[in-house]
Amino acid sequence: MASARLIIEQLCGCGITDVVTLPDNASKALLAGLAARADIRVVGVTREGEAWAVASGLWIGGRTPAVLIQNTGFLESGDALRGTAMRMRIPLLCLLTYRGYATLPATKERLASAPVDGRMLSRPEIDSCALLFEPTLQAWGMPYDFLHDDADVAKIPLTVEVARLCGHPAALLISRDTT
Amino acid sequence: MMTKDEVFAPLARVRGDAVVVTTMGAVRPWARHSSSALDFASADSAMGHAADLALGLALARPERKVICLNGDGSMLMSLGTLVTIVAAGVRNLVLFVLENRTYEITGNQPVPGAGAVDFAALARGAGFRRVYAFAEANDYAGHVAEVLQGEGPVLVVAAVAPGDDGPLRRGATESERYLRPSLAESAHQMRRELEKT
Repeated sequence: MASARLIIEQLCGCGITDVVTLPDNASKALLAGLAARADIRVVGVTREGEAWAVASGLWIGGRTPAVLIQNTGFLESGDALRGTAMRMRIPLLCLLTYRGYATLPATKERLASAPVDGRMLSRPEIDSCALLFEPTLQAWGMPYDFLHDDADVAKIPLTVEVARLCGHPAALLISRDTT
Repeated sequence: MMTKDEVFAPLARVRGDAVVVTTMGAVRPWARHSSSALDFASADSAMGHAADLALGLALARPERKVICLNGDGSMLMSLGTLVTIVAAGVRNLVLFVLENRTYEITGNQPVPGAGAVDFAALARGAGFRRVYAFAEANDYAGHVAEVLQGEGPVLVVAAVAPGDDGPLRRGATESERYLRPSLAESAHQMRRELEKT
């Protein structure tokens, strides 16, 4: 598990000015920590597609926003991501919480880069959202890495740099609840 | 009911240094009245996301007005944005809903609830500070300066006749200046333009 405090310290260090978000359980501690800060504005949205458009507008206006949403909302918001941040080449840091990560089957059955076997989407022991998540990120051409625990928090500035170099969003996948 | 030109001509005269975000059937008609570097066409982009893009701009630039020329079909795609705008506490956003009751770009098919949806009531219910509805050109022209003054967020419902604006494209041969660059180039140009001030 990753410490919300450490994540927020890294966000501040990267000059993140705004976090555009729709909460979930994994981001609960992180959002509680952000709410106590005056130097990062939290912008809540009603649906994840809005997050990409609001963040894109913030960036065009000169800010340095990040998007914090769950993978379910990421899947729901695909066309908004395509038509705003990706199409506009906005270098966004995306913090995407990975619902169902622990339910993913062993590597032999599922490789992140392999096509999804449609029959697995109905298996009750597997979170189908998790199954589709990484293949979808790859389909979008969005670079990503994992934020499992405190040791991974240092990846935040690296991901910001990846986004800057790519000229489009790059993601860190938060696989466990923040604390 | 007004024409789009009857809405845009008076607005262009009073917009000052406001950023204007257009989308769908407003993109080309607005360009007949303005060629400002502070105009941004949300074209070749994501449907229904001009208002939330404008919200981001308004939050980033609280010192200047941001005007969004949205359509009723586009607004219906993201009604939650009305709530998001108010909850964000933005004071400098003026959101037009050009209500032509159709998806004009795709051939004027009726939008769901055409003529029955009360966008002004939806905005009031979401908590918009000021809400206007205009259907007559002289009435609108007499109030448009007032609309832009004072604190928002402001929602303006403008009843307009359906036009015949077709699908939008971007490219060097487009007659409208702000459709010549790619969407990415436009976004980056606007950021640079705003950095000047």
